[in-house]
This record gives sequence, C-alpha cells and structure tokens, in this order.
Amino acid sequence: MRQKSRWKPWSYCVPALLLILVVIVFPIAYTGYISLTNMNLYHWTDYGFIGLSNYARALFKFDSGFLAALATTLVWTVLNMAIQIGLGFFIALGLNAPGLRLKRVYKTLLMVPWAVPAYISILLWRVGMFNTEFGILNKFLAMLGFDKVDFLASNGIAFLSCMALNLWMALPFMISTIDGALQSVDGSLYESATLDGAGFWVRTWSITVPAIRPIIAPAAVMTTFITFKQFDIIYLLTQQRGYMTGATLNTVITYAHQNAFASNNYGLSSAVSMLLFVVIILFSILTNRSLRED
Amino acid sequence: MKKVTALLLAMLLCFTALAGCSQSEPQGSGAPPSNPPQNSSSPSEPVTITVWHDGDEGIMQTIAGQINAQLADDQITVVFEKKTDMPNQLKLYGSDASNAPDMYFYAHDVLGSFVAMDIVAPLSDVVDTSILANHLPMTVEAGQIGGTQYLLPVYFETLVFLYNKTLWEGDIPGTTEELYDYMVAHTDTAAGTYAVVNQHTNAYNVSPFINGFGGYIIDENAKPGLTDSRTIEAATYNQKFGALQADGDYNTVTTLFNEGKAAAIIGGPWLVSGIEAAGIDYGIASLSDIKLPNGSGLAPFSGIQGAGVLKVALAKKDALAKVLTAMASPEVGVDLANKSGCAPANNKSYDDPQVTANEMIAVIQKTASTAQPMPNIPEMGVMWGPVETMLTAINKNGADPAQAAADAQAAAEQAIADMQ
Amino acid sequence: MTRKGKNTARLALLNMAFVLLCLVTLVPVLYALSISFSGQGAALSGDLSFLPHDPTLENYRSILCEKPFLLWLKNSLLLSAGTIALSMLCAVPAAYAASRWRFAGRRGMLRALLILNAFPQVLSMFALFRVLRLTNTLNTHSGLVIIYAGSMCVFAIWNMKGYFDTIPREIEEASRIDGASDLQMIVRIVLPLARPAIIVTCVMVLITVWNEYLFATTFLLDSQSYSLAGGLYQLQSNDYSRNWPVFTAASMLASLPLLLIFFKIQKYMVSGLTAGGVKE
Repeated sequence: MRQKSRWKPWSYCVPALLLILVVIVFPIAYTGYISLTNMNLYHWTDYGFIGLSNYARALFKFDSGFLAALATTLVWTVLNMAIQIGLGFFIALGLNAPGLRLKRVYKTLLMVPWAVPAYISILLWRVGMFNTEFGILNKFLAMLGFDKVDFLASNGIAFLSCMALNLWMALPFMISTIDGALQSVDGSLYESATLDGAGFWVRTWSITVPAIRPIIAPAAVMTTFITFKQFDIIYLLTQQRGYMTGATLNTVITYAHQNAFASNNYGLSSAVSMLLFVVIILFSILTNRSLRED
Repeated sequence: MKKVTALLLAMLLCFTALAGCSQSEPQGSGAPPSNPPQNSSSPSEPVTITVWHDGDEGIMQTIAGQINAQLADDQITVVFEKKTDMPNQLKLYGSDASNAPDMYFYAHDVLGSFVAMDIVAPLSDVVDTSILANHLPMTVEAGQIGGTQYLLPVYFETLVFLYNKTLWEGDIPGTTEELYDYMVAHTDTAAGTYAVVNQHTNAYNVSPFINGFGGYIIDENAKPGLTDSRTIEAATYNQKFGALQADGDYNTVTTLFNEGKAAAIIGGPWLVSGIEAAGIDYGIASLSDIKLPNGSGLAPFSGIQGAGVLKVALAKKDALAKVLTAMASPEVGVDLANKSGCAPANNKSYDDPQVTANEMIAVIQKTASTAQPMPNIPEMGVMWGPVETMLTAINKNGADPAQAAADAQAAAEQAIADMQ
Repeated sequence: MTRKGKNTARLALLNMAFVLLCLVTLVPVLYALSISFSGQGAALSGDLSFLPHDPTLENYRSILCEKPFLLWLKNSLLLSAGTIALSMLCAVPAAYAASRWRFAGRRGMLRALLILNAFPQVLSMFALFRVLRLTNTLNTHSGLVIIYAGSMCVFAIWNMKGYFDTIPREIEEASRIDGASDLQMIVRIVLPLARPAIIVTCVMVLITVWNEYLFATTFLLDSQSYSLAGGLYQLQSNDYSRNWPVFTAASMLASLPLLLIFFKIQKYMVSGLTAGGVKE
C-alpha cells in the first residue's frame, strides 16, 4: 500500500500538469529563450542568439519611473483587495440572511457586471459614466447643481475612478466565492453559540470568519495577482492611443508596456518580461505568507 | 446539476439548428471563405485571393465587388476579411505560409514596419508598376520605401472642416485667428455647447497645426522633431484651441457634433455616415483654406489607403497580378467615390463627372495641395505615444511646452533606440 | 412579538439595502440597455435619462439577422463546454490529490503553480502562437480550448482544493469500508459535497471563456468560428467603426445567456453537506 501510494498522488496530477506545461510553462521558457536573441523588426525571422545583452539594457527600464509605478501598484493592489474582500464578505453575509426571499434575484443582478466582457465594461464606463459631456456621473452632478468633473484628468481622481471600475468588475466573483464558502459552515456551530448567548457579530467573527478563511484564501490570493497585473482598466481608461486623459498613472505592467513593449523589440521586451516576472515572484513570496494552510 | 447540464445541452442543440439558418445570411464581406486554399495559379482553376483589412466593411465590399466583376472570367475571387488590430496580427501571421493572407489593405504609415519585417513583396515582383502611371504622385510616393514601390494606393483621406449649416453663423473664417475669435464667442463649456471640436490631443488631428507651422514629428532620417521650435510653437498654439474643444475624446467630439451641440468638427470622411444618420445638414470646407498666423494654410496629414502583397503569397503571382491591375483601374476609384465618398488615388477616376461633383472628394482633393503624407518609416510607429504624451501634458496638465517637448523627444529617441 | 417585529424590520432594511446596491450596480448596464433600444441618430445621449430616444428594436434585429450572431453564440457555448469539461477533468483529480494526500513535492507543486500563474498571459501570445502552429491547431476550437483550460487550470486546482480541505475525511472512510474505489468515491461523495466550489469554479471558467476576446480573435482566423466576445470585438472595438446602438444591443445579447445560467444555477449552490448529506 505504501509503495503504491507513493506514485498515486502524482498520477492524479499528471493531466493537469501536462496542460499547465504546455500552456503556461512553455510560454515562459520561450519568452526566456527569446530574451537571449535579437528578435526585433529588423530580424523578424532571422534572429540569432546574442547572450545577455538584452538584460543589460532591460535593467535600465527599472528606473525611478518604475519604482513609482511599483508603489502605485502596491497601493492599488492593497486597497482593491481590502475593499473587495470586506465588501464581498458583508454582501455575501447579507445574501445569506435567513428569510431573504429575493436572494436569487439579488444575486443574479449583482452578477451582471461579471457577465459583460471586460473591454465593453471599460468602454461603457469611460464614455457612459466618466465622460465630462454626457457621462451619467456628470449629468447627476449637474442635476444637483455642481460643476462638471473630469473623472480621469488627474492622478488622484483617476486612481479612484479606475478603482471604482475595478471593484465593479471584480466584486461579483468575490461575492459568489464567499457565498459559496458560507455554504460550508456547519449550521450546528451557530446553534450552540446562540445558546451560549453570543450575538450576531461575535458569531460572525468567531465562527464564520475562521471557517471560510481557508476556502477563500486561494481565491483571494489569485485575485491579488490579477489585481497586481491589471492592465486593461488603467490603460483603456486613461492612456488609450488618440485620447490620453491627462492622468499619468502607471502600474508596473502599463509602465513596461509604455517603455519597453511599444518598440516591437521582442528580444528586449522579453528580457523586461522575465525581470518583471522576478518582481512578481518576490511580491508573491510576500503574499504567500497568508497561505499557511497546514 | 443534471437539469443545468440538460439546459445547456438543449441550448446548444437549438443554436446548432438555428446557426444553420444564420449561415445562409449575408456575411459582411465577400463570399464565405470556406473554399480550400489554392496553391496553384493555373488559369483553369478558380483562385481565391484573401485580403486582410481593418477598415470600413462597406468600402472593402465596394472594392471587392468591382474587382470580382472584372476578374469573373479568370475565375479569380477576392475576399476581404476584417482583422481588428491588423498590423499586430500580421506580426504573427505574416510569415506563416499556411495561414497568412495573400494581401493586406491598410493605410501607408505601417508599411515601413512590414518592409523591415521582410513580410511584404515589392509590387514589381508581381506586376509591372506602370499600372500606377496615372496615379497621383503623392499617393504613389507614400507607398514607397527606399525608392521601391510596395503599396498600391487606392484612395486617400485627409482631415476636413465639417460644419453644421444650421448652427454656424456667417462664413467659415479664412484665418485661424478669426476661427479662434469665433470659438471664444460661441463656446459655453458649462452649458456644453461648442463652436469647433477636435481631438486636440490626438497627433493625427493636431497635424494640421504642426505641419502648417513647418514643424514635424519625425523626418525621413528617423530623427524626431518634437523639440524643433516650430513643432513647439504649433503645440503651444494648439493649446488655446484645445481649451475650447471639450475633452478631445473621439466619442465626445463626434457625439457633440451629431447632437447639434458643436457647430463644427475637424474630422475625416469616416464621420459622414454618422452625421447623415443623425440628420445634420452639414457643409465641408478645406483646412488648407484656413491660414495660420504665418500665412500658410493648415496642413493635415494625409493617409493613403492601399494594398500590399505578402511574400508568402508569391506562388499565386499570376492571379495577384490580375488583382492588382484591376485594383489600380479607374473604375475601382469611381465606384469608391460614388458609393463611399472616398477620394480615388487614380487620377483617371476624376474624368467621371460624378466623382468631381462629390463635395467631400473635391474638398479632400483641394486639401491635398497642402496635406503631407504621414511618414511611413518603421520609426513612425513609436512616435504616436510620445507626441500624444506631449500634447496631453501641454493641453491638460498645463505643462511648459518646451519642457514637455524635451521629455517627449527623449522618450521618442529612447523608443527608437530600443527598436534595434 | 417584538422579536418577530424586529426581525421583519431588519429584513426590510436588508431588502432596501440590496435594492439600492443592485440599482447602483446596474447603472452602467441600464444606460447601455437604453442606448440599445435607441434609434441610430441619437447614439450617446446628452440627457440623464434611462429611456431610449426614438425607441426601436432595429438594433437587435440587425444583430440577430445581419450578423452571424447565433453561430457565434453556438461557438461560445461549444468553447465554454469544452473548456469546462477539459479543465475540470484535469483539475478535480489534482485538487483531490493535493487535498487528501501528503506526498513528497506536494507543497512545492502548489507553490510553483501559483507562481507560474503570476506570469502575465498577454506576454505569452507569441509562444502560444508557436504551440498552436506546431500542433496544427491554429484556427481550430480545440486549440483554443486547450489554451483556455490550461490558463484556468491553476485557478481551478487551488480553488477546489481549498474546499475539499473542509470536507471531513470520516465521510470518505465510511464509504471506503463499503468497498468503493477512489474514482467512485470522488464522483459519488466528494463532488456532491463540494458542489458550491465546483459550481463557482465552473462559472468562473465559463465566464472567462465567454468574455475572452484577445486569444479568440488572434488564434481563430475564420469569422465563422469566432466566439461571441471575439466577434463583437472584431465588429466594434474600433472607435471609428463603432455604431453605439448596435454595439450595446450586441453586448446585451451576449451577456443574457450567462445571466440565465447564473439564475438557474443558484439552486444548486447549496452544499451537499449543509443540505443534509452528512446528517442523513
């Protein structure tokens, strides 16, 4: 039994690992390979091996502008995650309140933002919500007698606008994950606690939170990465070609895009990608502390 | 759980059945591309030439219709397929013989990159370039890299001054200073009504000022000209106009004009269908008739739309030669002018009285006297970002123009250095 | 009585909060909905109104009849079903193994997966193009399914493993005595118990595939084989060619099937555990 079970767990993992090898590992390795070549517009198909010189050049991309972008990214990630988990938790708790008959309707409606492709959501918000001339927010302000506000014009307000959109797009997943996790909490625990005279908040804090933490931790960590890597929202809201709004907000990915990927030098941008990957790994080691599962 | 699976399956089945009927409906551009790819080009067999584009389906339909009618006897069919972000798609597929298209159709400014990547073939590899003998010289030259003709020009466009006849008071001013005075008098930002709107941070839309002042974005030696005193002067001058032109987003400015909240807009022929749908009675004026303080007219970029041949398609040489010859014919230009209001690149098309009677085409042709073709060297591709960062900093963040120009110039030089 | 009254008041308050929350959430969507019913001229309106100008169904008609909408819908369903099947088939056994057995390399594997997943996937475009070209699956749905399934696999494993961890081992041991094989046990005991996590994971995969447009438009060349999001992107992503009323109508139509599935699926979001699986 012992001998057999040594390989059994791995055999269960083989299909998944194969898939991941092809779709995730190979591209990373390939990017690493390209980073060692001079593949660019002028050597599109006839590129050759040039050693580490792309890395020497790529290091210059990690300048003070990058550090500022890294700081922005960290603030962005922490704020978004804190609000997402906090709000998501309370909304999910509310949805699970006993006697809430319209639960399914509310939940479906709250899931609507999730059902819209990202580029459509971003476009809708840019033009329909934030626009100075006919965005809903400005129409609303005008109705209340306030002046027009350009929600994307400067860094502070653009950051908040991007965050509002990110929350709008990401909360549905968080709500449904936490809602799913809440289903696993054994109801009998509450009963005995109630008998002990514990109030709602005490029960929530001492029973619900510890019970769902291990279940939502993976989803939370995964979402943290997605938030860290977020590109579309900031790029399409504030720095799309033909219409930059005036905000100079950058996350590490938009910064790299602006400074390294625009030149179509695949060798150089692959080197930047690999270094960026190292930065993300370092970042993930920090977050991994929250994943002590054993 | 089972019920949901059943529901999904049922939906799938329904749509498989329904999709059958939708397949028979007209599909946007050209014949269904279900024909197997042809590798032989012997005239007895039917040949399909695939063209990728990222433009207006109606325009491509017009071109395909005319060519296919001309080549029906040769059993050659041209199919236009729309590819969003076509230049980037060609970076992947351009050298992939089994999936690449035979030709592409796009503006001339990306040509340099394709030539650098070595994925397009000179036209002379396929056909005698004398087919371009009657084309406007500006359009022919825009399709050349290092003296070699790669692009077959089909039509060209420039920015024009479109105005709402009901809202505009008096004549269109003859100078930018008068235009500015008119704007000051007729713009009420708080109420959301504007005199003239323009995408004032979009490099293409500010080009009338930059070129008119004698400045430049990049010269033929790939040297960025953002710190050229005339470029800075133009960007500074543009700033006071921008302040009266809303946020400068394409969606904002077109909607303002289509809703009758802006009396005029600086834009291209691509706006016309929307303006007509909104029921606006509009007039068109040439930007070259509006003079800058230095006496020269506004000088927009011109974009030359045309077709290039991919190297991987050279096996179909004979068919491609016929397609290119048909595409260069004056009839294609006449059709485009009459059906889609495009200004033909072939001078012979203008022999048709209907073409010269078209107001938009007349204005674009007139603007061609001052218009400058966009640079088509590969380095132009990295210039849009820095130029627009500079315009945005000046127009929206109140940055010092000289400083913004210096920063943008440095960024542009770095980006060009990064290309190698 | 007072206790009951207090409860009713609390529920009323909660209902009000949710109505408000739903309204706020739906503002952009309602706006899009009103444009989708508007006539061609008045695309983006200047007024604060959720009522369409010049109401018409023309935009919906033109999407359904002039564009291969139903074909794209079918492709989206096929791609989603294929991806869900493949990713779950791969991820469930792996998640089960990672949750149930402590084997050498297990922790390392889980960590490594998480870190690999951190690589921005947009950067993989070129490499994935090579993979598909090598395996001759460019322009096929199966190629795309493999890419989608692979990119969702790490998420699926982690997400389900977390839930599997909470299922008491005793339940399995009881059935093992009955002589059930591992596979039978996963199918009969573990999956039903982990239903909420399985459903959330499937929904996540479904939505990702449904809304993905970059790979779909890059790796599929034939407009007949596009997914809904891809086809829409191809038609309307460009500012210059966008027709707002048609675009919003198409977005609404594309999202509707997902919402229907959401609504239907909620009944099953209750775990076998709390539904009485153990206590019975």
